[in-house]
Parts: sequence; C-alpha cells; structure tokens
Amino acid sequence: MSMMQTNTAKRWVDWAIIAVMALLAIGMLLPFLWLIATSFRSVSEAYKLPPSFFPNNLDFVNYAKVLASRVPFLQIYYNSLLVALVVTIGQLVTCTLAAFAFARLNFRGRDWLFIAFLVGLMFPAQVTILPIYLGYAKLGLLNQPIGLALMYLTSSFGVFLMRQFMLSQPKALEEAALMDGAGYFKIFWRISLPQLRPALSALGIITFTQTWNYYFQAKVLLGKNEAMTLPIAMDVLRGYMAAGNLSVVMAAMSMAVLPVILLFLIAQKFVIEGITMSGIKN
Amino acid sequence: MTTTHPRTSELQRAQTRMGYLFVLPSTLLYLTFVLAPVLVTVVLAFSHFDPLLGSRWVGFENFTRFFTDRRSLQIFWNTLRFALFAVTFNVSVGLVLAVALNRAMPGWLLYFFRLSFFLPVIIATAFVAVVWSYFYGDDLGVINYFLRLVGLPNVRWLTDSKNAMTSIIIMDVWKNTGFFMVIFIAALQGVPANILEAAEMDGTPPWRRFLRITLPWISPVVFFCIVYASIGALQVFESIVILTQGGPGDATRSLSILIVEEGFGSYEIGYAAAISVVMTVIILIITAIQQLASRRLVQQ
Repeated sequence: MSMMQTNTAKRWVDWAIIAVMALLAIGMLLPFLWLIATSFRSVSEAYKLPPSFFPNNLDFVNYAKVLASRVPFLQIYYNSLLVALVVTIGQLVTCTLAAFAFARLNFRGRDWLFIAFLVGLMFPAQVTILPIYLGYAKLGLLNQPIGLALMYLTSSFGVFLMRQFMLSQPKALEEAALMDGAGYFKIFWRISLPQLRPALSALGIITFTQTWNYYFQAKVLLGKNEAMTLPIAMDVLRGYMAAGNLSVVMAAMSMAVLPVILLFLIAQKFVIEGITMSGIKN
Repeated sequence: MTTTHPRTSELQRAQTRMGYLFVLPSTLLYLTFVLAPVLVTVVLAFSHFDPLLGSRWVGFENFTRFFTDRRSLQIFWNTLRFALFAVTFNVSVGLVLAVALNRAMPGWLLYFFRLSFFLPVIIATAFVAVVWSYFYGDDLGVINYFLRLVGLPNVRWLTDSKNAMTSIIIMDVWKNTGFFMVIFIAALQGVPANILEAAEMDGTPPWRRFLRITLPWISPVVFFCIVYASIGALQVFESIVILTQGGPGDATRSLSILIVEEGFGSYEIGYAAAISVVMTVIILIITAIQQLASRRLVQQ
C-alpha cells in the first residue's frame, strides 16, 4: 500500500517537473518567436509595445526591403553558403581519410601524430589569426571568402570524432576483405564509409553550422561588404538601419538562420549523437 | 589486422604507405593553418613588429606591458570573471536541466524539450545577440516592458556598467547551457540503473543518491564540460561586441576584443600576439588541470 502511494507521489513529482520544464522551454524559444513575429511587423510598429511573439500577417515587404538595401545581401548570403559548403565537404574528405589511418592502419609515428592533432583542440582562433592575416595580406586572400574557408579544410575535432566512430565499428568485414586481397583504399571506400553514414551526417551538420556561424575570424579577414558572411552583415545592417528599421533587420535575420534551423529539424538525431560521442567517449 | 601469414611484412609496408597517404592532406593543412601560425604568434609575441623598419626582438616587453598596464589588467580581469561565471552557470544549469529531463516521458515531449533547449546552441551568437540587444533596451526593451507590467522599475541592462557584464552572462547561459544539457542527458543514461535501484530500496534519499552515486559516476563528463566551456568563454567576443562594444567604458571589454583592437586597429602586432599567447597559456593550464584531476578520479 505504502509502495503504491510513493509511486503515485513520484508520478506527480515527475509531472510537476515536466510542467516547469515546459514553461522554461517556451521561455527559451521566446527570442526566436519575437524575431519571426517582428520580421512581419510593419516598420512603423516594429518598436511598439507590447511586443508580439506571433506574426499577425504574412506580409513579406520587409524581406523585400532587405534585398533592396545598401548591404549586398544576396552576395553575402552566397558567400556564407560558399564558405560553409567548401569547409563541410573539405572536412568530410580530409578528416575521414585521416581518421581511417588513425583507427585502422599501423604506421610509425601514428600515435604521436594523433596527439599532435588533439593538441589543436586547445588553440583558439585568436592565437592563429595574426600570422594568417599577415600571410593572406601578402597573398591577396584578404576580403576573399574562400580565404576563410581554406583555414578550416581540416579540423582536430573532425579527425577525433570520426576516429571515435570508426573505433566503435566492428572490424570483421574489413579483415575479411583484406584476406580476399582488397587494397586499403578499396576497404575504406567500399566497407568503412558506408558504415559511417550517421557519423558523416553528424560531422557534416556540425561543421556546416559552425562555419555558418564564424564571427571572429570572418570579422578580421573579411572587412568589405561584398566579401562578408552573414554573422558580420547583421551588425552592419543594424548600423545602416539604426533609424528604426528593426523589422527589416529581423527579416534579414530570419533568412540568415533558416538553413541551420532546417538542417537541425531534419537531422536533430545525428547532431545530438555526434555531440554526445565527442563529449562522453573521451 | 595482424596475421601470421607470410605476407605480413608486405602488408605492413602497405599499411605504412597508405597510413601516411591518408593523413597527408589533414597534416599539411594542420601544419599550415594551426601549428605554424601558433609558432609564428609566439615569435611575434617577443618582438616589435614593423614591416617597414624591420622587426626586432624585444624579449618580454610585450608581456610586461600587458601585466603592468591598468587598462589591460582590467580587461584581463573582465575576461576571467566572465569565464568563471559563464562556465559555472552553463555547466550547473545544464546539469540541473538534464536531471530534470532524465525521466520517463512521451517521445514527442522529449523531442520538443531537446529542440527548444538546443536551438540557441546552433544559432550564431552574432545573430541572437542582435535580438537580445533589443530585449535589453532601456525604454523600448522587451524585458523592461514585462518588468513594468508587474510593477518593477526599468533595469538599465547594458547602459549601466554595474549590470552590463551580468546581462552578457545571462545571454550566454541562455545560448550555451543546452549544449551541456544534451551531453549530461547522455551521461546520466550511462549510470547503472541497478545500483540506483538498490540504493532506493535501502531508503537512500534522492539527493544523496545523486551526490553519492550519480555525480561521481559522471564526474569525467563534468570535467570535460568545464574545460570545454572554459575554452569557449575565454574567447568571448561577438556577444560583447554586439551588445555593448566593450562598454560602458571598458566594463565589458574582453581579451579577444583587445587583440583585435591592438592587432588590427593600432597595428601593434607584437603586443596583440602576446595577449593571445597569454590566453592560450591559460587554456593549456586549465586543460592540464583537468587531465590530472580526471586521472586521479579514475584511479580512485
């Protein structure tokens, strides 16, 4: 009897906690709801209180104003897409190749090299940016979006994550293929890679999002309006629009966050898996 | 992949060849864009950089300047204080949220929770900081509107130097704590259920079960989170640039802002390099402490 009572009490506690968490979760979303609702408010009402958290119309006039503004928004959007896609594809290739070597092949200096890569996790962009800036200035790579992409064609995090995933895969198939006389590249391409599809999705989405969001590096390397990426452009746009075109800034922002939100909605599972993999298993 | 086959040495040679080939692209890129720049930065930190008249070696001059200048020391202190509070709250709030969500609930509800707490993590700080700058407004701000609604006075979130750093920390916790929540949820699911159940049968109260069993079990993950959060927090840049530009006065200016101002504004490359070396050394020390501490914990 008392056991049943405590069970009922426990269930009530569970539901009370879940109710509190639901309120908190809605609170977490308020800035996003406000951002979308404000992007649909007319410019004259943008600052009007009370603030709105739900759009009361679906008038895209502010979105049109972004495209007509002095900031070359489409060019900037293209820069962001270019940098994020080049970096994502680059890392998928370079990190996976290196991870295969670290997880599956025996060669001299392997463990030292891997430790050298891990050390890279501790270097902030601040300690590499000055020489890269000076070098880029000599090579004419400043104000070139591709210059930002070059910096991140490989990453310690990516190598580490892919190695972790590979080590968690059984080796039996690869060993059988080796016995049959298959070469290592064929084993990598035909057997390891297909098993790693979830890992590739995780690394791809994490890398795309991270690159899409770079600010410090982009601000230093890409100063010109035409060369900017979106995170830098938002602040610039806010400056140009200071006179109160809040709605227009929020319309630009809605477009800027769209790819990342879509990716996350489609592939939440992979992102969470990748992050827990890197956090738990080291 | 070891065998006693006669082909062993041939296989080993193939492995070596392929191994070097496979790590080559990453290694070259890593040398060019990470290791070499770090070494150059260290050299720059000990020199006065002047491309026209020639750079010269100045020993510890840049470091002495940093550690004796009142302004740079205040900025150093700002950054450490920000990191201390941001790390503490990000990790502890994340842990509390994870414990709260670590219970039986319908799948769609868990999906909704993960979505709403994790959404701020994936959106650029540069984007959400612009939104928060309107939330934090004095008279037209969204937060002050709700404060007035319940009869409280306006708070000068960003324009009062006593509040500005706190406001930036609050936004930072909103933005990042979901990351740690997700990691802790996974860690909590790894705590063996039978030990917890046995303790429950013995009548151990929930909070003691948490302190005696759960927390020690997940402590390596807690350490990882603290280090990860510290590395991020010490680099704090865009949230401050967008919310306060480092102001009022220097009240919220951080090391990263100082590096950009000195390096790319005043062209004091050597001095900026020295500041970034100081930042990196702190990160290395924190990581080393974590490694030692978690090794000791594992031994126990």
